[in-house]
Amino acid sequence: MTAELIDLRPALAVVISLACAGAVFAARENARWRAIWSLSAAGVKFALVWSMLPGALGGAVYSFRVGEVLPGVAFGFRVDALGLFFALVSSTLWVLTTVYALAYMRKSHSLSRFFGYFALCISTTVGIAFAENLFTLFVFYELLTVCTYPLIMHNEDLAARRAGRKYLVYTLSGGGLILAGMAMVYASSGTLSLAQAGILDASAGGTTLLVIFVLLIAGFGVKAALMPLHAWLPAAMVAPTPVSALLHAVAVVKAGVFGIIRVIYDVFGADLLRQLGYTDWLAVLAGAVIIIASVKALRQRHIKARLAWSTISQLSYIVLAASLLAPLGTLAAIIHIANQAFSKITMFFVAGVIERGTGKTRVDELAGVGRQMPWTMAAFTLASLSFIGVPLTAGFVTKWYLSLGALQGGREVFVGVMVVSGLLNAAYWLPMVYQAFFRPMPADRKAPAGVSPMMVGPVLICAAYIILLGAGASAPAMPFSLAEAAARFAIELKASVE
Amino acid sequence: MSGILPNWLLPGLAVALPVTGSLVIFRAGHWKHRMTGLAVTGTVLLVTLALTVIMAVTVADGNRIDLVLFPLLPPWPVAFRVDAMGAVFAMTVAGLFALAMMHAVGYLPDDRRQWRFHGFLLASLGCLIGVALAANLLTLLLFYEVFSLLAYPLIVHERKPEAFNAALKYLVYILSGGALVFTGIVLVQHIAGSGTFVAGGMLPDGASDPALIVAWAALMTGFGVKAALMPLHGWVPDVHPAAPSPFSAVLSGVMVAAGVFAILRVLFEIFGAGLLQRLGVLPWLAAFAGFAVIAGAMRAVAEDDLKRRLAYSTISQMAYVSLAASLASQTALAGALVHIVHHAFFKGGLFLCAGLIIATTGVRRISRMRGLGRRMPWTAGTLTLLALAMIGVPPLSGFTGKWVLGSGMAQAGGYAHLAIILAGSLLAALYLWPVVYRIWQTAEEPGPDCGEIPDRKPRQDNRWMLTAVLATGLITILLGLAPRLPGFPLELAETAARTLLGSPAWK
Amino acid sequence: MTHWPHWLPLVAALPMVGGVLTPLLFRSRPSLAWAWAVSIASVTTLASSALLLTLVGSGPFSYAVGGWLPDYGIELQFDPVSALISPVCIIGLLSLIFSRRYVERSIDPKKVSFFYALVLVNLGGLNGFMMTGDLFNMFVFMEIFSVSAYALVATAREPIAALAAFKYLLMGALSSLLVLFSAGVVFAMTGTLNIADAASRMDVAGPMPAALALAALATGFAVKAALFPVHFWLPDAHAAAPAPVSAILSALVVKAGVVGMLRTLELFAGAEQLLQPLLTSLVWLGALGALGGALMALVQRDIKLMLAYSTVANIGYIFIGLGLATASAATGAMAHTLNHAVIKSALFLAAGAIIHRTGLRHIDDLRGLARRMPVTSFAMAFALVSLSGVPPMAGFVGKWQIAVGALQAGRPAVLAVMIIAGLIVLAFSVRVINALYFRPPSRISVASATEVPLSMLLPIAILTAGCLGLGMTGQPVLEFVAPVIKNLYGAVP
Repeated sequence: MTAELIDLRPALAVVISLACAGAVFAARENARWRAIWSLSAAGVKFALVWSMLPGALGGAVYSFRVGEVLPGVAFGFRVDALGLFFALVSSTLWVLTTVYALAYMRKSHSLSRFFGYFALCISTTVGIAFAENLFTLFVFYELLTVCTYPLIMHNEDLAARRAGRKYLVYTLSGGGLILAGMAMVYASSGTLSLAQAGILDASAGGTTLLVIFVLLIAGFGVKAALMPLHAWLPAAMVAPTPVSALLHAVAVVKAGVFGIIRVIYDVFGADLLRQLGYTDWLAVLAGAVIIIASVKALRQRHIKARLAWSTISQLSYIVLAASLLAPLGTLAAIIHIANQAFSKITMFFVAGVIERGTGKTRVDELAGVGRQMPWTMAAFTLASLSFIGVPLTAGFVTKWYLSLGALQGGREVFVGVMVVSGLLNAAYWLPMVYQAFFRPMPADRKAPAGVSPMMVGPVLICAAYIILLGAGASAPAMPFSLAEAAARFAIELKASVE
Repeated sequence: MSGILPNWLLPGLAVALPVTGSLVIFRAGHWKHRMTGLAVTGTVLLVTLALTVIMAVTVADGNRIDLVLFPLLPPWPVAFRVDAMGAVFAMTVAGLFALAMMHAVGYLPDDRRQWRFHGFLLASLGCLIGVALAANLLTLLLFYEVFSLLAYPLIVHERKPEAFNAALKYLVYILSGGALVFTGIVLVQHIAGSGTFVAGGMLPDGASDPALIVAWAALMTGFGVKAALMPLHGWVPDVHPAAPSPFSAVLSGVMVAAGVFAILRVLFEIFGAGLLQRLGVLPWLAAFAGFAVIAGAMRAVAEDDLKRRLAYSTISQMAYVSLAASLASQTALAGALVHIVHHAFFKGGLFLCAGLIIATTGVRRISRMRGLGRRMPWTAGTLTLLALAMIGVPPLSGFTGKWVLGSGMAQAGGYAHLAIILAGSLLAALYLWPVVYRIWQTAEEPGPDCGEIPDRKPRQDNRWMLTAVLATGLITILLGLAPRLPGFPLELAETAARTLLGSPAWK
Repeated sequence: MTHWPHWLPLVAALPMVGGVLTPLLFRSRPSLAWAWAVSIASVTTLASSALLLTLVGSGPFSYAVGGWLPDYGIELQFDPVSALISPVCIIGLLSLIFSRRYVERSIDPKKVSFFYALVLVNLGGLNGFMMTGDLFNMFVFMEIFSVSAYALVATAREPIAALAAFKYLLMGALSSLLVLFSAGVVFAMTGTLNIADAASRMDVAGPMPAALALAALATGFAVKAALFPVHFWLPDAHAAAPAPVSAILSALVVKAGVVGMLRTLELFAGAEQLLQPLLTSLVWLGALGALGGALMALVQRDIKLMLAYSTVANIGYIFIGLGLATASAATGAMAHTLNHAVIKSALFLAAGAIIHRTGLRHIDDLRGLARRMPVTSFAMAFALVSLSGVPPMAGFVGKWQIAVGALQAGRPAVLAVMIIAGLIVLAFSVRVINALYFRPPSRISVASATEVPLSMLLPIAILTAGCLGLGMTGQPVLEFVAPVIKNLYGAVP
């Protein structure tokens, strides 16, 4: 069924953005070449990643091994269904974000640095997705931290520096934890390969396993903004909007949850964790985070802050779903990577458009914006509905499978969490929609200026994707079946998905 | 009859056409002539109505039309199934929407925003038909949630502050209800592995009782919010007066009914009468419904605002259906279904009358309606007719429904139920008669606290509204006089009731 | 060419002779002196590469100087530890190339030829030290490179340089004394100074003299390597020296202490009761050094002082690795010896380039420099990230191996220490990177700075590339040094 094929494409997908970064750096302040390089690399990578989809759907696993870096520690790529799903999401979003960023950042400074590191981030993200072993994953994970840092600091003012410092302190400490965990995994099993659905076994001893679990989950949990470790994310909202999109949707937080999924299913393995029961605690934590972060979001007045807290809540959906260890829960975890990404990036794009167009950044300033920018706000509404979990939108798919997964895993209480969270989402998104569409516009509002079609276009495409993901799961060329395959592989329970 | 189109296409078209139409209509504000937009709207409505009628005729003899669209959440598909119960509800929905839309043309000022109203109305029509024709819980949930949300812009269309407050209340109620429905559906899905409606129930007997009861309670409360079952009715009396009248008509006539409809589906095609009796949950439903019939009606008596009074009356009237359902008797069920249809038209008609009165005179309070009969004889006449129908005077449609309902209850031995229904009707007379009395009261005999209808110049184009109002009156008479014509509600309802209770239709 | 045995003494002798000749020949012509020094260093580098190739091709070999047999003559040997001369030569050569323009500003022109002479002598001494298998020779070579190092520190124009050099000299003299003393003890016990012979004759049963020798040797080399708590001479000396000298000192000279320790351990292989306390204390001291050095680096504002303290921290890592005495930890320590040399020399040269152009060394003064000196700043940032051990850069290889070794040896606390120290290193790296990249310039000399000339840029670039390259090729390096471990501790766990 699963055939390993040696293929250069996984490596190429990583290298292409790397080359793009080099070209962008070399282009210095030449705006045209910068745009050309960024867009063409985004396009080529998009094509490369998607070209692996048919094969992957057919059960093929593409791999490319660079070599052993350290004894027993190889540097290599392996494209399984889960990794490809993640890569599909981020490479698709990269195209849109690049287009958006080119328009959004037009008047900014240090643009070659910005776009160069932007490309590097995606390069490392795809590296994370395609990593064959924990070491390769860790390498790219750390590089991602390094590459996002200049982007968060882009404004170079006090707030940006604070945010950047916070970000680094958190993520690098997380990296340290992962390193420790990884060393312990290696010491107790002699391999770091992610290819065999669980490399640890009970013989390692309870304490060791617990320590490894805590280290790895906490380490990845930093980027996944799992709650006691989340503080960097709301702080990082000072970054330019495309960077927020990158943080919240395309790369960074997703790398964290992706890592958690890998840890649960590929380092420990569902069977082992079922015996150990650690994931029950993780699920409880995630459930609490979902609710607490939503309540926090409710109290934010700044649009991007609200978005950031919502991200924290939404990411815990993925963590919760993954830790249910039920086939449908796993499916929900994987699917939500895409669902959250598209919904949240729509919102960030919209927040950016509003900021550029009207200068408004606060929730209570939105009155009448819907009339000024009907399409943009319609997209925002759609994304809100998706988070609330209205059928036909992407978010419903998650809510549905997650709830069923919770029942399947015998954790009924999380259905309640889903329901409450859906209502909380309604409570903080709908007032924004209400403000935008149903409140009269203040008389002194100026007509929006400086919003180019290059910003609105990505917004609408993302919004269309929300519908597509929500309604077109079975449509051809939708990666849903890929997610299903990944879930099946992760949980090794074919029957119950069907 | 359906030779022109393949049968399986009918349900898909009936849903897709209004939804697509709505997308077109949103842009109608930019068109040159208003009539173009109206023509498009009208065509869409009429074709949709025709489609529902064709479906009703096709399934009248117990046939079914099945259409599986695509797996929305693999492996669970979005699917339509036209059966008698769905068809009769779909037909009612399409008919009432057509009348409401006609009324709205006159009611709303002629500006660009009216197209927003029409657009959202068409979209919710599509979704309601989707609810009627859904073949499984997932499909039902999909359309149910979407039309609940689509109602929001319709309620606040006139941008009155009280409308915003009411709409917020609506949203809180409906979203919470939706969340409960979601919970229930997920539970059912988990217990049974599917959510497809099967006549006579589909839940396996082996499932644990607590899980079943939780699922049942979640679904009943969830849909009960929409169906305005009494402790959950809070949004109804606020939203109805605040919404534009044509939408109040739809809201009261079919949207509340959609909740009841969903309750019927869940009771008899998910749980099944046998399982419900085993679980012993039906008395609970009866208690709540009975309470709603009486309490709703009593609140109605106390209201002076015409639309609020009608809103409470809806709470009371719709509880009849739940009450009948709790008996699980075939005739009572048939009566309940017929009552849904008939109620849609007379209650819708009453709201349209109220809208016409408000639009023409600006008066909302019953105590100030003295002399209306002289000013607006046609409207007043229709209002009287509809009021009589609701009270249950033969040979109007209200009577037919209640007769079948009542006789069914009597057959099944539900005398307490019957008594409640009778009391409800009595109370209906109590709260409607003063209205009729007041509007026909001549201006020369002033009462102590009665205001007179102000002399305002009526709007020029109230012909649209008047036509709609008169049409409801005609339908009420027609349904009352000839309920048993083929393809008419009663016949369909009887088929549906037979099917619901698990005896195949062809026996 | 493949195996001309005389390369072996030549790599030690050539730089020394060439060095002595430099002031004689080119006293008044600094640029010719530079060319001379570079060509001598190049030839030495080529020779060392040839030796390395031979080693890889046909295994370790030795050379008896003048044909005398080991007991009496000087024996030079070439094994994977000696192979360190290859990077030593390369880093020395690059530092020399770098020096050309650097010394123009920072050293009295009259002293320039002496400067080159000292660098060459230092290089020769290091090469000899790495290759010799004889305790006394070791002492001699150690004196050669140490004395030249003291003098090199003193060449700087910094007012503090003389004092720093003096401090360095005092500690260095103590270290040499200890080594000489223990050489005597060993000779007295075994009648030979050849380490291999002595190891076979060593009577470890009678603990007292052997323990004394071991203690003296270990302390001596620990001082040389600046292991905590005898590190205090290092920061001042390294920070005060001219930048290329700092590079050589921090990257190479302290490593001589590590190599010395390795050889010493060989001498006592199998003496479990003697080694165990030593190894344990090495782990502890290494851990304290790693933490303390990193913390001290964190509070420094002077960029060179910061780098100097970071050397203390990294020496700590290396000794942790040696002390853990498991295969992967010890190989990791040796790999880190090499990798740290490359990273630290890149850093000191980059810092030198910055100081050369701006005259500033306080971190806060360097704000906004990246826009004026992009290549140097990038090298600095890159090497700093590498230093902190972010994979796949060079700093990671050794630390990973040591960490795995720590777990295998059942000491997870060491792992925690290393990770915390790594994070602290990251913290001060980030501070430098922030200043360079994300702050507006605050000093005129920064705003008007330009990129350094190619002769300075090239060494920096090559070493920076090495930071990445060595990280990617960790596996071959580890395999290369693995055989040494076998005869290091006797029975390796």
